[in-house]
Amino acid sequence: MSPDNSGVVLPFIILVGGAFAIYLIARLVTSRNEWLAVLTAAVFAAALGALLALGRAPGSAAPTWGNTMAGVSGMGSVILQADHGAVFVGSIALAMGLCVAVYSGRYLSLDHRYRTYYPLLLLMVAGLLGMVMTTDLFNLYLFTELMSIAAYVLVAFRRRTDTSIEAGFKYLMMGTVGTLTLLMGITLIYRETGVLTIPQPIVAPGVWARAGLACIWVGLGIKSAIVPLHTWQPDAYGRAPSSVSALLSSMIGPFYVLLKLTLALGFPARDLGLGLMVCAMVNMLLGNGMALMQTHTKRLLAYSSIAQLGYVMFSVGVGLRYELPEAVQAGFFLLAAHAAMKGLAFLSKGVCHFYDHTTLVEQLRGTFRRLPVVAVTFSIAIMGLIGIPPLAGFTGKWFILTEVWRAADGWVYAGSVVFLLNTLLSLGYYLPILAMLFSPLPTPDTPPPVQVSRWMIVPLVALALLVIALGVYPGPLWRWAGNVLTF
Amino acid sequence: MALETLALLLVLGAPLVTTLALFVLPRRLQPVARWLAGGAAALSLAAMFALIPALRRGDVPAIALNWMPAAGIQFDLRIDWLTLPFAITEGAVTLLAIIYAWGSEANDERAPYFYGLLLLFAVGMAGTTLADGMVLFYTFWELMLLASCALILVWGHTSGSGPSRRAVALKYFIFTHLGSLMVLVSLVILYNATGTDRFSALRAGVTLAPGIVTTVITLFILGFCVKMAIFPLHIWLPDAHTVAPMPVTIMLAAAMLSMGAYGILRFPMSIFTMEQMQPFAVPMMILGILSEIYGALMALAERDIKRIIAYSSVSQMGYILYGMGTLTYNGIAGATLHVIYHAIVKALLFMVVGLVVYVTGKRNIDEVGGLARRMPVVTACAAIGILAIIAVPPLCVFDSEWMIFAGGLETPYVTLSVITIFGSLLTVAYALWFGSRIFLGKDPAETTDTTLGPVSDRAPTRAKLPLAMVAPSVLLAALAIIEGVFPAPLFDWVAHELPMLLGGRW
Repeated sequence: MSPDNSGVVLPFIILVGGAFAIYLIARLVTSRNEWLAVLTAAVFAAALGALLALGRAPGSAAPTWGNTMAGVSGMGSVILQADHGAVFVGSIALAMGLCVAVYSGRYLSLDHRYRTYYPLLLLMVAGLLGMVMTTDLFNLYLFTELMSIAAYVLVAFRRRTDTSIEAGFKYLMMGTVGTLTLLMGITLIYRETGVLTIPQPIVAPGVWARAGLACIWVGLGIKSAIVPLHTWQPDAYGRAPSSVSALLSSMIGPFYVLLKLTLALGFPARDLGLGLMVCAMVNMLLGNGMALMQTHTKRLLAYSSIAQLGYVMFSVGVGLRYELPEAVQAGFFLLAAHAAMKGLAFLSKGVCHFYDHTTLVEQLRGTFRRLPVVAVTFSIAIMGLIGIPPLAGFTGKWFILTEVWRAADGWVYAGSVVFLLNTLLSLGYYLPILAMLFSPLPTPDTPPPVQVSRWMIVPLVALALLVIALGVYPGPLWRWAGNVLTF
Repeated sequence: MALETLALLLVLGAPLVTTLALFVLPRRLQPVARWLAGGAAALSLAAMFALIPALRRGDVPAIALNWMPAAGIQFDLRIDWLTLPFAITEGAVTLLAIIYAWGSEANDERAPYFYGLLLLFAVGMAGTTLADGMVLFYTFWELMLLASCALILVWGHTSGSGPSRRAVALKYFIFTHLGSLMVLVSLVILYNATGTDRFSALRAGVTLAPGIVTTVITLFILGFCVKMAIFPLHIWLPDAHTVAPMPVTIMLAAAMLSMGAYGILRFPMSIFTMEQMQPFAVPMMILGILSEIYGALMALAERDIKRIIAYSSVSQMGYILYGMGTLTYNGIAGATLHVIYHAIVKALLFMVVGLVVYVTGKRNIDEVGGLARRMPVVTACAAIGILAIIAVPPLCVFDSEWMIFAGGLETPYVTLSVITIFGSLLTVAYALWFGSRIFLGKDPAETTDTTLGPVSDRAPTRAKLPLAMVAPSVLLAALAIIEGVFPAPLFDWVAHELPMLLGGRW
């Protein structure tokens, strides 16, 4: 191992070390929420810096770090590789983690359980980072578990409310089945090839590898909420604290790993593309259809995430099937833009809940009078999700449409029709939110405006500006989203 | 060139900056909001006029910035002869609507937002006409929708039995967005085929597969027809026009609908040649006729005076689509003139309706009558508006309809032209019926109120009307006469656009 590459493991060490350090500080030094939030934010920022520093080297081979205690057929080794996709996906989660940590400085102040909250946030993102960086199947399983277990606890964080316990339990059950299936898939692949590396040394997968791949699809499909394996997600996003929902919706690691792994196992990109396109249509239709029926704001946003994942899958699928790297790039652009928009939406919703205990869409009425800044940031998020130019969502959709139609094929046209129809369909639930935010309360005496805490305003405004900036000036993100997936 | 650049920036910049200022206006400055808004609209309009000399010299004032180099997307603003009639119509309507709003809308603490959104709506429309990049065009196109939708949502007036403001705004947004998406699809196809998002570059000629040409033109025409509220894509219009506050209705009807006509002229008819457009001539003419007759029949059937004029827009947009569908010099020039004249007349009629509602507080045509005695000036304006929309000779619409019909008769489809000409009889029916019921006869409220003694003995009480509402009406009525008698200057503007259309035939 060359010593130069020890930087690869640095972000991971910062996160895990930070998690333990913050837990100890919370036990021994101070359990003031503001201090812990600042420390967590600092850890996220340091990890983000360390990760971005890895992504600097252009064109060169991805830096790899591994221990030397590799035993029989590589078992027991830990190998991390900071390729471009890992840096991209990891950075999105870390950046959102930074926002969420600052936001929690006030948002969590009524919960009294900071000691576990902040370490869990860090561990969850650490798990995600490990997942995308590892080049070993068994490590992948371990990191997936690390991420998932932290996520289960965070979803059920408000343990005194039955609904969040229910949501956490459902997530736990489905998630555990998912990780177990993933483990089984890894075992089956190991049976065929005898090694655990990614990529696998196979040209065409045999019967065991195919079965293993199917298991991996189910396992990671659950984690990335691909229909029909999505049923945990509306409950989890809907019942978790809004900060956790925001962070979860920016954790696109499982989807990325799913694609990377399928390709690494020698599965033909063409077939993967077609499968993604079909799944995409189902995701869009079901996500939007269910979102139309929701009355809870956060459940609605969760279903909208399912639909938005459908848009991404469609673009990536077309790119894989017709060998259009730009279509894949457009898909990942929207994925990143969606993380910012959905994170902003969840965080804005969280502020409404924090001050006014709103859960239903109907209750958002009068937000503009009471929380003017939040109403504006929330509507920027929603307008971005609709795809109003010049916000990030529109730019993402514009890229998708322009790139996807370079392939002239019936599947693409069918998918595009579904895509556009769904854009229209989604207006049915996004617009009422906008309308509610700016509608006056039915009662004549409106409560006075609230002075929203700076801890919350700062991340909200930063994300809102980001959503606008990504729409108006998409060049840097567009270039960054290139070559995320090599096929 | 610097002066033109400045003027071009002012057209959009003045209202945009004022909007932002209005949104953060301190509370104690709130009374000046209306003046700021009026000033910005006037400045924007003046800037448009300032650009005319440059156009006459043969220049094409333009601003080009590299916006998204990654995708080859430009931030290009450009004014040419095709833009000018639409931009000036939009600017003038905005100014008059804002002045009208001084009288018709409450000057409460929400007023800065109201005027700010009106200006934002105007920015959307002006930007739509000035944009020379597809993404920029679509951005402004959606801004126009968003701002008008917000105005309807927050300031709409609903009657007890009608649909709620929210429902109307939702329907308006979704339906118009459907049109926008059709346009977007066409734009993306063109962008992919040519690699440029600048549509002035496309006029040089686009080579596309014939099947794609058909798709693109169809989607463009359908998408823009939604904005123009052509039957059967009009269903958002009556509710939106009725519920919106009157200044917004004026801007919707007189300016925003014609953005659809601009789109058809700017995209399918500029980019493609006569041969490529020929298959769409008859469908456009038929859609136009259907819209003309359907709108007029619905106007006859309506009792709500605001809805009558709203349906009249559906009918009038039918003439415009028909005129463009003829693909003849006279037809297209007439359609463009009709956009301007329709704006004058429709703004006038809506202003009159607003005044009637202001005085009586009623919108049902059965409950009003005999207003000529109470508001003679308004009645005179209304008479001019009604006669103009019927196309009585010295008034403006006569000129444009003459040209549209002349264009129709140049085509081989004489039957369609005859139907259009006779269809205009329906306009006579609803317009005269509308005017006579409101201004002539007896006021039903007075005749039933027997405590006041015999009706004939009473001296009519002159209604007190705000000057800000009457003055624009009088101005528009005067314009309707002046434009009818001296159409030459406007016709001169419009004639310049024709060489840009259909592959430069004229």
